[in-house]
Amino acid sequence: MHIVVHKAKCQGHARCWAQAPNIFKLDDEGYVLPGDINVAQEDELLASRAVRSCPESALEIDRTSAARFEPAEMQPRAGEA
Amino acid sequence: MALNPVPDHVPPEMVGDFSLFTSPGMLPTPDGDPQAATACVHAGPPIFYSPFNTRDGRGTWVITRATDQRRVLQDADSFSSHRSIFASALGENWPMIPLELDPPAHGVFRSLLNPLLSPKRVTALEPAVRERAIALIDSIAASGTSCDVMQDFAFPFAVSIFLRLLGLPDHRLHTFVGWANDLLHGDDVKRPAAARTILAFIDELAAMRREEPVDDFMTFIVQAQVEGRRLTDEEVRGIGVLVFVAGLDTVAAAIGFDLAFLARHPKEQELLRSEPNRIVLAAEELLRAYPTVQIIRVARKDIDFEGAPIRKGDYVSCATMIANRDSAEFECPDTIDLMREDNRHAAFGYGPHRCLGSHLARREIVIGLEEWLARLPAFRIKEGTAPIAYGGHVFGIENLIVDWS
Repeated sequence: MHIVVHKAKCQGHARCWAQAPNIFKLDDEGYVLPGDINVAQEDELLASRAVRSCPESALEIDRTSAARFEPAEMQPRAGEA
Repeated sequence: MALNPVPDHVPPEMVGDFSLFTSPGMLPTPDGDPQAATACVHAGPPIFYSPFNTRDGRGTWVITRATDQRRVLQDADSFSSHRSIFASALGENWPMIPLELDPPAHGVFRSLLNPLLSPKRVTALEPAVRERAIALIDSIAASGTSCDVMQDFAFPFAVSIFLRLLGLPDHRLHTFVGWANDLLHGDDVKRPAAARTILAFIDELAAMRREEPVDDFMTFIVQAQVEGRRLTDEEVRGIGVLVFVAGLDTVAAAIGFDLAFLARHPKEQELLRSEPNRIVLAAEELLRAYPTVQIIRVARKDIDFEGAPIRKGDYVSCATMIANRDSAEFECPDTIDLMREDNRHAAFGYGPHRCLGSHLARREIVIGLEEWLARLPAFRIKEGTAPIAYGGHVFGIENLIVDWS
């Protein structure tokens, strides 16, 4: 699963991070870090809950087939601290 | 109380008979449920004009849908948040910061303050918060089988955490709560008097910390820099007043409403007692059901909004309790379901002004409920008593006598 992060919409509610701290990372001010996120299959339920809990609709699950076949090297910051 | 006439540009058919101050259930009511009482607006149009919907008797447009409130609160170009609420009580005009600053000036101060109340920082504060909750609840448990949740727990807990954050002494807790109470809920005499007292206190505190810095919030503010310069006296004052006022009674009110709900619903109480890991999710539902704030913006230009002719200078009300009962956003909004997921409630607002203290507030509520349920047996409203709840500018609950005998 691929999650599009609309960084400009993030207002720091941090509901995504509260649901899935390993998937969504925050900056020092508490806003989501920029960069779309590829989610491993076993984390999909958790990640989609987090997406649905964003009060600003700053996160979006990308269901297009292109997203699913995105090359691995384009994966953003999933493993970064 | 001054009642302003409906402005000429408001079509008579768009005027609604509703006010967060005077509608049924808004005045202090024994066993009242003011948040639920606001749900009646959903039977009407998505936006209407309420002729009396602020403390000073002004009218506001009322936005009833969560999605429209989001639109208003995210659009700072069209809707300003500078109302000078505090200063106007003194006949002055300066912003509480960052709440009453609009972008881009807002962002400068928000960035300065965000790290102080970020999720990371709040995690570090957690042990102290828990320790305070445990001390208060253990003392309640040791002294009998009944207490007033507001006096004995909610206020001392929330306010002392907050005073510690600011670097203020605990022994003045009751004084500070009294000031906040007069300011937020007082009459035309008490309110300006409280505002003057708080202002003098903040100014004096800032002067002391300038002279002799310590490791606390006000020292941080007087030493801070924005855009390569120190803050002006008015900016220091604007921040100090906001943080002082915003933190004093909001979390206490939330904990009061939450424990009142659990006292009246033994099954839900038992659920959280036997499965405490559900409390985090349940706290979100309680925030949805019992938010306390009406957010007001001022139109910066003429805007036609969902058929309503909003004109420059009009007040636009985004009452969080109304958004939180919107059936388009929440399935069965009038049912309080502690297992509800996807809870995008509006308790902390939306947009750039999203409550700065929300992360701390959440943790205090969760920890307060966790420790209360872990340390006291099943409790109910004490027979012969009735908690008094009220609406208005900030919703609240005056007393909550519970009994576990």
